[in-house]
Amino acid sequence: MTDVELVLNGVPQRVSCEPGESLLTLLRRLGCFSVRYGSGTGETGAAAVLLDGRLVSADVLLAAQAGGHEVTTVESLDVATGELHPVQTAFVESGALQSGYSAGAMVLATLALLERDPDPSEWTIRDALSGILDRETGYVKVVDAVQRAAALLRGEKPEPMAPVLVGRLTEGAAEPVPDAPAAVPRLVPAADVPATSVVGRGVPKVDALKLVKGNPAFVDDVELRGMLHAKVLRSPHAHARIVAIDDTEARALPGVHAVLHTFNTPRVKYASGGQSWPNPRPWDQVSFDDKVRHVGDRVAAVAAESVAIAEEACRRIKVTYDVLPAVFDEVEAISSGAPVIHDESDTEGIHDAARNIPRRVNGQTVTDDEIEAVFARAEHVFERTFHVQQQQQTPIEPHIAIGWLDEDERLVLRSSTQVPFHARRMVAPLLGLPVKQIRVIKPRLGGGFGGKQEMLLEDVVGHLVLATRRPVRLELTREEEFVSSRIRHAQTITFRSAVDGEGRLLAQDHHVVGNTGPYATHGFTVQSVSGQRGLSQYNCPAKRYTADVAYTNRPVAGAFRGYGAPQALFALESHMDDIALSLGLDPVEMRRRNWVRTGDPLDILPALGERGAAEIQGEIPRVTSCATDECVAQALRAIGWERRGDPTWKQPPDRPSIRRGLGFALCMQATAIPNLDMGGASIKMNDDGSFNLLVGATDLGTGADTVLAQIAAEVLGVEADDIIVYAADTDMTPFDVGAYADSTTYISGMAVKKAADGVRERIVLRAARLLDVEDAGDIDLRDHRAWAPDGRSVSLEDVALHALHLEDQEQIMATASHVSGESPPPFAAQVAEIEVDVDTGQVTVTRLVMAVDCGVVINPTTASGQVEGAMVQALGYALTEDLVLDEAGRAVNAGFGPYWIFRADDTPPMEVYLVQTMEPSGPFGAKSVGEIAIDGVAPAVRNAILDATGVTVDELPLTPERVWRALHA
Amino acid sequence: MVTVTTYWRPTTMADALELVGRADTRVLAGGTRLNADASTDPVEVVDLQALDLGGIGPESEGVLRAGAMATLQDLADGEEVPAVVREAARRERPSTLRAQGTVGGCVADGSGESELLAALLVHEAQVHLDTDGGAETAPLETFLADLPLGAGRIVTAVSFRTSGTAAAARTARTPADRAIVAAVARAADGVRRIAVTGVASTPVLVQPGDQVQPVGDFRGSSEYRRALVDVLVARVQEEIS
Repeated sequence: MTDVELVLNGVPQRVSCEPGESLLTLLRRLGCFSVRYGSGTGETGAAAVLLDGRLVSADVLLAAQAGGHEVTTVESLDVATGELHPVQTAFVESGALQSGYSAGAMVLATLALLERDPDPSEWTIRDALSGILDRETGYVKVVDAVQRAAALLRGEKPEPMAPVLVGRLTEGAAEPVPDAPAAVPRLVPAADVPATSVVGRGVPKVDALKLVKGNPAFVDDVELRGMLHAKVLRSPHAHARIVAIDDTEARALPGVHAVLHTFNTPRVKYASGGQSWPNPRPWDQVSFDDKVRHVGDRVAAVAAESVAIAEEACRRIKVTYDVLPAVFDEVEAISSGAPVIHDESDTEGIHDAARNIPRRVNGQTVTDDEIEAVFARAEHVFERTFHVQQQQQTPIEPHIAIGWLDEDERLVLRSSTQVPFHARRMVAPLLGLPVKQIRVIKPRLGGGFGGKQEMLLEDVVGHLVLATRRPVRLELTREEEFVSSRIRHAQTITFRSAVDGEGRLLAQDHHVVGNTGPYATHGFTVQSVSGQRGLSQYNCPAKRYTADVAYTNRPVAGAFRGYGAPQALFALESHMDDIALSLGLDPVEMRRRNWVRTGDPLDILPALGERGAAEIQGEIPRVTSCATDECVAQALRAIGWERRGDPTWKQPPDRPSIRRGLGFALCMQATAIPNLDMGGASIKMNDDGSFNLLVGATDLGTGADTVLAQIAAEVLGVEADDIIVYAADTDMTPFDVGAYADSTTYISGMAVKKAADGVRERIVLRAARLLDVEDAGDIDLRDHRAWAPDGRSVSLEDVALHALHLEDQEQIMATASHVSGESPPPFAAQVAEIEVDVDTGQVTVTRLVMAVDCGVVINPTTASGQVEGAMVQALGYALTEDLVLDEAGRAVNAGFGPYWIFRADDTPPMEVYLVQTMEPSGPFGAKSVGEIAIDGVAPAVRNAILDATGVTVDELPLTPERVWRALHA
Repeated sequence: MVTVTTYWRPTTMADALELVGRADTRVLAGGTRLNADASTDPVEVVDLQALDLGGIGPESEGVLRAGAMATLQDLADGEEVPAVVREAARRERPSTLRAQGTVGGCVADGSGESELLAALLVHEAQVHLDTDGGAETAPLETFLADLPLGAGRIVTAVSFRTSGTAAAARTARTPADRAIVAAVARAADGVRRIAVTGVASTPVLVQPGDQVQPVGDFRGSSEYRRALVDVLVARVQEEIS
């Protein structure tokens, strides 16, 4: 042990450390929970602290190195309970916090920067933030927050974050867009949207205080007496049978409490995707299998007194493998002669195990003969094959779960999950417990993006808790997060289209081979959504979708924002540009002749839905709200689309190797799974006229809790901060499917609205009595009061006190749930401006604009933050992110450096337009916004390269070498 | 985190040299690479922070000397430091790791992707070392070719020339990503020096027309890297002409 003397947040401390202890673990041990694990390589900045005033990464500093120095964390800020430092205020007002996992680090970075430069340039800010990776915001609002903080500290009063209103171009508006900072959303209102007071405002996030102050709020921010640390022994082989395991030496290691593997745990089949019951087949997993099917697959799990002991125990487990041949490419995997990945006898529901095809997906609007007849007589037929890669979600908080037995000896699992209710139901049979013996708690999450729509750690932790009767913690390392959690499906995609001379689509045939890795968790549903998205955007009389889901020995694919849409839309929108070019048509004009509008049928959906609307209602769903024309008009104006025809812009005379281009892509997503996604909400009124809102909905950092609070507040005539949101906890809150499929605002939001309506009903009855008004229907709720038509009013506090204490006492409360038969799509137009260096193939994206129709926007700040963040993730998909394996199936770039997600100092300027429509089925007219913005950047960049250079690249990511090869082919 | 069994913080160079002469000791500078190493082999670390090896200042006419413990940020901020070196220092790591990472650590690491090392190569950098046999100086290119650094040796400073005209060119997946290949050139006193990254285990000095034999990886094949060298070397040469 080493004694370290340091000054922590102004207080001299003398602490005893292991010589190898990191400053990160020391600080957390000392209660500074704002300093968080992101990678152990210093690359995420989640663990950034000030060391003598300089921002450094505590995960790559030894605690001993900090000896003799001053260490400062965000806990040092001397602000009263409930109050914020001006820098923290700026972060809240700008909407710069999504999950807030790295909020403490960002606040410290800002303090350090403003200390040496009170009025920094945008570039200086971006450079100062370059050490803190943000997977969530797209950095636009973070930069704004630093500028706002600088202004506040200089004593200025910065403008509040309010959207800039932009006139509707399709209704003749001609005035230019007012100048405004990039972080401010451009809002294009619709005339038919009723006035609201809380809905539609960029109110601060309801969870902002705990995030920006770095308060303990995440899974790992608890201390449990006697807690053990778990580690999972991972497979070094891509495909092997486990012949024997000798765990004697591991068990003999002092401090080891349990070693679990295939030979000492029950074999219960399941599918890990967090989906509604019954989970889609096949159920091809067991907690500890006797076969490993990718490098990083589970072999065994250990619980021990420390992480180091658990790791050492893993190294001491002797495993005898029978190594088998492996296959990584999805097309090879389903070809004859490929190794069979699921040759076990107890997995039911594999479509064709011998050919590695767990599921086949097919949906078509006409018969095979009919579609082939259209192709046979069409004027033009185009066909192109595309390939897209495995992209990892990389939430800065990796998967983590902590489990323990409570005083009733029920199993409690505190987990970073998007699906607490699914996780509880799914883990129960694996542990041999009834559902009632399990409680799953979802605290704040540090991002998920679909990767946490999975029952990934809960079974391991549950098994270890039951085996040891001690609290157990399991956190994935960053490398494990890359290779042993979940990843976006790689696909080989072929589009074949029959087109008439005017560019109208006559038939579309969309074929996919989807790489699910060795387990099919989301294989069927993701590949189904690819077909839904590939064949819904354009009207076409004959459509056919076929997909083979392929088992391979790559890391396991699962849910990732967009859920099959980014793959489909990269292919579709690239294909559409190619068709337009071949026909000599403007690519937007050609699309315009085909894109769906309000009232048009979405006729492929019944054939591909998990539980399609038509299956239940017997009819084809139609577009109920759509502002594609307006989105396109706004996006084209904002990017200066006319420059496509300007040769001196496209080929700048002073930069001979540079070609510039503009690219376009149309996007569409869904809003929840119809007739399947359900959310519940419960609201009760407190003595002071405030309300508790309990929801099972799962805010990943998106601002969902805030949006739900706004919906309740709007109905109840209060402010969002009068709604105390608690979510999600399987013991305390109503059921909700969880955060996926773009369902929270639309489904959970409507449940909240219904519950609020129920509470409102009780309030107005009592208020009518107090105000002596005959018809309670005449009572209006606003400004924390209930108003009679004649202007008299009573406060909600008085209503609450009356109800709770005075007469005919009752708890004013209501519970509601919601499911929808509709899934109204949001629409969007994405444009990209790029430069290509034709001598090197380097592509630089110089500007992105997206105009999104997401219905009525409940919170413009969080909604535009969703769009900005998704665009940056999409930029990674377009240009860098690709988990690459060597020939043995080992990842060569399972770290942030080589993998590369965009940093503050390399994201291009971005603008977001929110184009309103009034969606009749949504709460206050809302549709979804969380996923659509990840769909369009890759095809828009690809099409911009085509515009700039005339070459096509049909494989993602669009690396410099791929572009160079296309240019020099 | 690296597996550390003992942490040393010597206060004299003699003590430091004695420690780093032992088996299983590693020099700890900023820690951005050593501490990020997940290797389970136990090591003793010798932290140089108490040896007063920081600072950047003139060594002689036209020559700057950066102490081994000067941070990358110090170099990026150094007003006397040539612009190409400052920019390369900024590019070397993001803000946090730049405030921690050191000049000495960068040269001792010798990464083949380091644009800072390429910039230092063309500025005729010399690496100063202390050994138990006394002080030594080696041209950076020789030092890099001899890596890894032998036991019992500590980099104390890197000096480099400030004169001349320099230029840099690079190709990368994104503006802030490490270059797949970068070229840096400098002309001074009628002599041109050109260095490239991404073609060998360390950055190397090249002559125009030299054939490099890079090992390809997922960011760029050997063939592509060779083509980039041709393009980027031509660009930086033209710029300094």
